[in-house]
Amino acid sequence: MTLITDRPSPSDPRPWTFPAFERREVAGGRVITAHLPGRPLAVTSLVVDAGASSEPLGQAGVAELVARALSEGTAARDAYGFGVAGERLGASWRASTDWDSLRCGFEVPVGELAAATDLLAEAVRDAAFADETLKRVRDERLDEISIELSQPAARAGAAFAAEVFADSSRYGRSEAGDEGTISALANDDIRAFRSARLRRSLATLVVVGDLDGADVEALGRSVFDGWDDSAEGSVVPDVAVRAAGRRVVIVDRPGSVQSMLMVGHDGPPRKVEDYVAMTTMSMILGGMFSSRLNMKIREEKGYSYGAFGGYDTRKHGGMFLARSAVQSEVTAPALADIVAEIERMHAGGVEPDELEQARAYRAGVFPISFAGTAPVASGLADVVTHGFADDHFDALRARVLTVTKAELDASARTRLRPDDLVTVVVGDAEVIEADVAGLGLGPVTVVPDED
Amino acid sequence: MATIAHYPHTEHRLDNGLRVVISEDHLAPVVAVNVWYDVGSRHEVLGRTGFAHLFEHLMFQGSANVGRGEHFALINAAGGTLNGTTWCDRTNYFETLPSHHLATGLWLEADRMGGLLDALDQPNLDNQREVVKNEKRQTRDNQPYGSWLEQVHSSCYPAGHPYHHTTIGSMEDLDAASLEDARAFYSTWYAPDNAVLSVVGDVDPATVLEQVQRFFGGIPPKGGFPTPPSTDIAPRLGREVRRTVTDRVPVPRIFVAYRTAPFGTHEFDVMQVANIVLGGGRGSRLYKALVLDRQLLQPSEGSAIDSWPFVGGATLTIADLAAREGVDVDQLEEAYHHEVARLAAGVTRDEIERAHAVITSDWLHHLSGVDGRADTFSQFATLLGDPGLINDVLPRWLAVGADEVAEVAGQVLAPTNRAVITFLPDAEDEQEAAA
Repeated sequence: MTLITDRPSPSDPRPWTFPAFERREVAGGRVITAHLPGRPLAVTSLVVDAGASSEPLGQAGVAELVARALSEGTAARDAYGFGVAGERLGASWRASTDWDSLRCGFEVPVGELAAATDLLAEAVRDAAFADETLKRVRDERLDEISIELSQPAARAGAAFAAEVFADSSRYGRSEAGDEGTISALANDDIRAFRSARLRRSLATLVVVGDLDGADVEALGRSVFDGWDDSAEGSVVPDVAVRAAGRRVVIVDRPGSVQSMLMVGHDGPPRKVEDYVAMTTMSMILGGMFSSRLNMKIREEKGYSYGAFGGYDTRKHGGMFLARSAVQSEVTAPALADIVAEIERMHAGGVEPDELEQARAYRAGVFPISFAGTAPVASGLADVVTHGFADDHFDALRARVLTVTKAELDASARTRLRPDDLVTVVVGDAEVIEADVAGLGLGPVTVVPDED
Repeated sequence: MATIAHYPHTEHRLDNGLRVVISEDHLAPVVAVNVWYDVGSRHEVLGRTGFAHLFEHLMFQGSANVGRGEHFALINAAGGTLNGTTWCDRTNYFETLPSHHLATGLWLEADRMGGLLDALDQPNLDNQREVVKNEKRQTRDNQPYGSWLEQVHSSCYPAGHPYHHTTIGSMEDLDAASLEDARAFYSTWYAPDNAVLSVVGDVDPATVLEQVQRFFGGIPPKGGFPTPPSTDIAPRLGREVRRTVTDRVPVPRIFVAYRTAPFGTHEFDVMQVANIVLGGGRGSRLYKALVLDRQLLQPSEGSAIDSWPFVGGATLTIADLAAREGVDVDQLEEAYHHEVARLAAGVTRDEIERAHAVITSDWLHHLSGVDGRADTFSQFATLLGDPGLINDVLPRWLAVGADEVAEVAGQVLAPTNRAVITFLPDAEDEQEAAA
């Protein structure tokens, strides 16, 4: 047996930067393009400031329904006809919402980029939003929610958001709405959100791929020319929290063989000044395989298939969340370990070798994260959504390489708040309640599962 | 129609039998390293179901020159990503790295291919056994419809057949797995002459081959691999199998599974096209009839029907049908069977053109990253003996015509060749909902 014992050294790295992109205005609309030569597939996508955060309170999920209804029939063709038209181009439609944007468009063989962009324009400009269509889209979403909530992770996520944020905050309800808000939506609510938020002034066309021979101006005109453009401003959501201090919610699901654990609190927005330090710190805590949480809960204790933690940073606020699905019998010790790791990080910060590892991974993985057309398009959509500068990704990568232990330790002290931890457990209350109550995680409320 | 991409590559075989596939792609400074071992859950012995997968976990716990936890740490520190998976026919291990860190990936794969026994110990086994049992709980036992996979396998393959049990195995068998089992499994199956290594990305092929020779060349071949348990089986079920599972689920959901000729056969290729005509995308028959027109079926992200790429005996084509709220499950099932029967009665040229466009884009998407491409090279090389098939399959799919789709769909998706597994909400939940 001859194995090579010496660890190999890397060769010289090939320099990498985020693909160059261009911003321009066409027909009164914003267009952002990146030319990636040699790729057979391209992306044409519209990013609109019409995310969940811009929904009226009580109408949670209306943005998601608007996104879905776009491909359900237009003035020119019905839902089936629209589906066939895209698929005959080899184009696959995606429409989704997150907290801060609505994104819709096609991945398509590059030769059909113009035709696919015409179809995208047809969807966002001429979708019919007929009564029977909106009823079906709403009912399908309600059915989908009942399946989602039967999964422990989704059930825990909904309970966690509701316990962390106040009733007045949109952040307290699921990103894509819940049964209560969606069933209350009238067809005219859906149409009203669409006419308020799907506007040229709030939209940007993102085109990524091998653009040799593509007429970008024509693509822009197809989407923006003649689109009504009365101005509509950004919406700043209420991000008030429910309360300070520790508390526990157990969602009782008798017979569960695992407990789904979520532990965390509200957090700062994306543009917080210590973003890089804060999120590098949270990578060490729970954002990579070798994180403290995963090593403790999975690799040392064997309590779980995995444990994770990190920040969800939105435009106007966010949250910190650690999570793991653990065998029911070890619910209390696993929770104790998770809280102890959060406290240890808060009090003691990171070790130099942990920082070295996290920094190397986070900076090193950029070329892999952005190797393809779709991830670059998604990166550009983030640039649009958050108003990042042209050198955003390169500057971010450079900052990752220079962030210091002192900065991470400071973020751990201010951005982790062990005294405000909200704990949610979806599991069998009869088996776990007494042990969980003894952990000192605050008052325990047991609520029945609602499905 | 998009032009058909061609993926150039070279093939090599080291003296110890290791097959190597190298393919250049300089679009981004990244490289994928991908190893397939020709062993999966169908090679497991009675009483040790789930072992191939449990063993996969042990492959990340260190080896001759790699400490516990170091495998992940070294790849991550290089800015790389990694994982491994196990299925019935194979076990794969893969990492994507910035291309200047290629040697680290190759070295780590070589060290565990040749030197795992040095690191294998009881604490590692006990820990990963618990991790895997929690993986089973998280992905199966604590999920709605979580037993569907087990139901499909056990209803389509008879007891004792290597595909009868699922890859995750049973808790009892996982509990019974010993360190001796792990040593024996490794000594039996993990060897250069039972593996394929694919390297795809921003690399110079001559340099790659040199490094592969350096890191892997000294690992001795094992040879004499045992004949795996026979997967011979009748190509069709020969009858309808029906099972009803009453469980804590929100809505009824039907899985319909059909025995299908294995991966690599012409019938399998035809079914790739048939599945798209029937259930792939918003222009498919099932979407139009059951989602849009009759509103019986919940729309799904992926195709409503798919074929698995098993190579032994017979593989499976599986439809996944979740009922809309309040829909009578029998009505959904009947409507589904009606659409299947209509498919056998004839397919239009328009439908085939749509299917060809969809399958082309799906394939381009699947191969768009170096990781997916490396995995596909390894797949074809391991299961069918020829990585070059990566360039042949799309033309084959595009040669499948309307008549052939109707004919083969009629044979495969036949009433006497299906297992129908129906999940129903249990009565207690229904009463609660009614109250």
